[in-house]
Amino acid sequence: MRPDERDIDDELRGHLALAIKERIDRGEDPGAARQAALDELGYLPAVRDSVRQVWYSRWFEAGADFARDLRVGLRALAGAKGLSLAVVVTLALGIGANAAIFSVVRAVLLAPLVNRDEDRLLYIRQSAPGAGVENMTFSVPEIDDLKARVTSIGAFGDFSTVDFTMIGFGEPRVVHAGVVSGTFFEVMGLRPVLGRLLTPADDGPGAAGAVVLTHRFWSTALASDPTVLGKTVRLDTRTATVIGVLEPSVPYPVDTEIIANIVTSPHHLDALMVTGRTHRMTELFGRLAPGATLEAARAELTAAHAALETEHPEAYAGRADVGMTVRTLRDQIATPARTILLLLLATAGVVFIVACSNVANLILARSVRREGELAVRAALGASPGALRRTLLAESLVLCGAGAVLGVLLAGPLVTAVARFAARFSVRALDVTMDASLLWVGAGLAMAAAVLLAWIPRLPASDTSAGVSLATGGLRITPGTSRRLRLFATAQVAFSFVLLVGAGMLLAALLALQTTSSVANVAQVLAIDVPLPIESAGPKTVTFVDEAVRRISALPGVTRVAAGNVVPWRDLGKFGPFSFAAEGYTPANGADPPMARLRNVTPGFFATLGVPILAGRDFTDDDRGRGELVVIVSQTIATRLFPNGEALNRQIWWTDAVFGTAKRRIVGVAADLNDESVLPVPAWVVYHPLRQIPYAGRLFVQAAGGDPYALMPAITRVLHEIAPEQPVERAATLEDVRAGLLTPDRVNAFVVAGFAGVALAIAIVGVAGVLAFSVSARTREFGVRLAIGSTPRDLLRTVLREGAAIVAGGIVTGAGLGYALASVATSYVEGLRLPGPWPVLGAAVVLAVAAVMAALLPARRASRVDVLQALRTE
Amino acid sequence: MAKTPDDSRLELLQGTLDMLILRTLQWGSQHGHGIAHSIRQQSDDLLKVETGSLYPALHRLEKRGWLKAKWALSEANQRAKYYELTAAGKTQLAREQDRWSQLVTAIGRIMTPATGKE
Repeated sequence: MRPDERDIDDELRGHLALAIKERIDRGEDPGAARQAALDELGYLPAVRDSVRQVWYSRWFEAGADFARDLRVGLRALAGAKGLSLAVVVTLALGIGANAAIFSVVRAVLLAPLVNRDEDRLLYIRQSAPGAGVENMTFSVPEIDDLKARVTSIGAFGDFSTVDFTMIGFGEPRVVHAGVVSGTFFEVMGLRPVLGRLLTPADDGPGAAGAVVLTHRFWSTALASDPTVLGKTVRLDTRTATVIGVLEPSVPYPVDTEIIANIVTSPHHLDALMVTGRTHRMTELFGRLAPGATLEAARAELTAAHAALETEHPEAYAGRADVGMTVRTLRDQIATPARTILLLLLATAGVVFIVACSNVANLILARSVRREGELAVRAALGASPGALRRTLLAESLVLCGAGAVLGVLLAGPLVTAVARFAARFSVRALDVTMDASLLWVGAGLAMAAAVLLAWIPRLPASDTSAGVSLATGGLRITPGTSRRLRLFATAQVAFSFVLLVGAGMLLAALLALQTTSSVANVAQVLAIDVPLPIESAGPKTVTFVDEAVRRISALPGVTRVAAGNVVPWRDLGKFGPFSFAAEGYTPANGADPPMARLRNVTPGFFATLGVPILAGRDFTDDDRGRGELVVIVSQTIATRLFPNGEALNRQIWWTDAVFGTAKRRIVGVAADLNDESVLPVPAWVVYHPLRQIPYAGRLFVQAAGGDPYALMPAITRVLHEIAPEQPVERAATLEDVRAGLLTPDRVNAFVVAGFAGVALAIAIVGVAGVLAFSVSARTREFGVRLAIGSTPRDLLRTVLREGAAIVAGGIVTGAGLGYALASVATSYVEGLRLPGPWPVLGAAVVLAVAAVMAALLPARRASRVDVLQALRTE
Repeated sequence: MAKTPDDSRLELLQGTLDMLILRTLQWGSQHGHGIAHSIRQQSDDLLKVETGSLYPALHRLEKRGWLKAKWALSEANQRAKYYELTAAGKTQLAREQDRWSQLVTAIGRIMTPATGKE
């Protein structure tokens, strides 16, 4: 329909030809005829334009102009490749990081859970901060009491975890299982994707064993097998039928593979579990009753809990300490991740600011160089709007390219950040890149583009600024120079803040990595050989004895020992329990001491390389019928008996689980805190395995070489002893500890990465500003050289300029960082101001890097050729 | 043809060019030059259409759907764009003709009252 320019031209040329022909036919001279016809037609481009305007609306016209501006912008940018590349990459880093972190924050902190009415789903936790127990869980009597007393919670759901040896799906293996009562799924508000979930009909000792598979287990281990319903599996000694598959949902507080009813776990039916008020192993969820609020439920629960503490003081050792928190499940899940994600978001924001100010600098410098061009255009009648439009087109091209690259970059970044965030919140497991990312990226790019188009000064609006139309040359005005410097200072300041942050995290990480009393972390393999709790007793002892004896005989093995806990991996098991010691009375009002319980074979300390500081190791003679003995950790020995008389004292548990018999301290071992990599005191009481015969962890010290190479032989030996015995999770203690340190390591790595990016941008910024300033002052340098300055003087001048920017940036950054940290500490728990070393280190790194960056332009200044410099312009 | 002296030429009334074009095309398709030529001839050289207004007008009418165009060889043996009335164009011509005669009558009554009372 709409004719293009060529059609219109053809039509008009056709007209011309006919007009000439007509005149010639009438007898005019061909030359004159042609001239007359041309005169008659008028100015061809004007006619063509007026025809074109018939078809194009005003907006279309503006669009066409803008498209032309874009083309011009593209061509201009192609001429400045280095600058364009710097701008695009800088923006891509800023936009990519922000978009990635934003989408993780959205998924983890803001999106609702799949659970029905998730804002009414509560998680209730009992904790004893004084004893360092973050989650002490509940016992069945406690839960029964709360159920009876609290009315604002319509239903409670309980959840405890048990490890079963499962036979039925391929090889026998240990599965992490949730054991729940029939109300659990109703309270959680979850639906099955296959079959049905557990209901109150599955409760009680007479019910048939029933198992619900989690979606993750079903879709990964069983390849979403639809025929799985009705299958029978063996869980330790009992059997259970698969009745359903749970919809994908956030596993909390622990990720399990299956969820079974109470009857599958004999332990859940015995008296200790049902009546033991301090036998705590159950997590508690609740659903608000209709009309009840979270505040009401919290008040009621707190009151009920306080009443329980008064009624059963013996169950709450250090009663002032035991407390309860009630939160919605969503808040509970999001809270640990909130700090770190907001920290990352802030970091990414700072990187974006640094990136933008660097881009602003580059654009500003460029626009100063083209002030001549803009002045000419303004003089030819271009309106300020048209000039702005040109600038906007250019910055749009740049920012658009930056955004595209940034979004491409954000894809892998989302995966990385999500994996990182999964350490703090299970919800991050399912984060994927979504469309919102594109909007965020595009929005950031647009914002940047518009800002950038308004940075340069227009010649038309400010004719007094001394734009030289005559020469079209480069004149740097004090205003521009000040702005450039301001941006560079801002970059240095923000980079400084990031560097200090990264320094803090690195310092913390270094401190963690260097603390441990275990000497042989690299040579000791820890292997899980889970033995069902039913086989505790002589059977365990026989198995362990045989395993230790035969593995010791393998070539390449130095020592073998067994225990019940792998340090840094089996967290939160076997204690802490309260105990008492002969000759020690807690200070008035203080809590009784609490310690973790470990069962080990003789040689355990030697195998791990933990020194025995006093007394002796266990021997094979420390057996069930003999005298009951223990070894205590150094902290217990020194805190309870500061005068060094711990040996031969009696000590006994006051918690009923392992009996209250008195035991004699025969040794003191160096502190090995197997719960934490932090240098905190270890409260541990070791028992000979033969006296508390429950184990399931082997420790094999390799003579040298790769410890993992021993695994095939070890597995073979174990299977010779017990063919159905699972052998799992073999790892050196070093790797186990590394796993625990991963969050800190990734923390430090991510922030250090951001800081590195910011540093690089800032350095480019400083160098760019100086280079620009040098090239603008070539003439001045020439004059100076001519009147007797030495090149060294010039070098020093430029370096001083750079140093001033960096010093200003560091001072501003220190102030800024201090202000930010002060504000942040009041909102974010556990945030501290950095020590002097990270601050000093960051300042040194920045200063050195900036001086290096300044050297290049400074050298150029000192090499100015006098004659040429004086001739420029 | 000698140039018509400026003072003897008539300015086209605003809006009448479209009507004249439609009228000219009543008898069949024609290209731009032909339309201009025939308007000039039929008005005995009193009306002269400027190229700068003719072509935008043609395109305006085409855009409105009153004309349709096709390319064909002209008598000068060159590609030329031939315009032709559409059905809508014919209706429009009738409407404009009505309006024009009303206008002429009305203005005529004012300018020459005697004839106006006939």
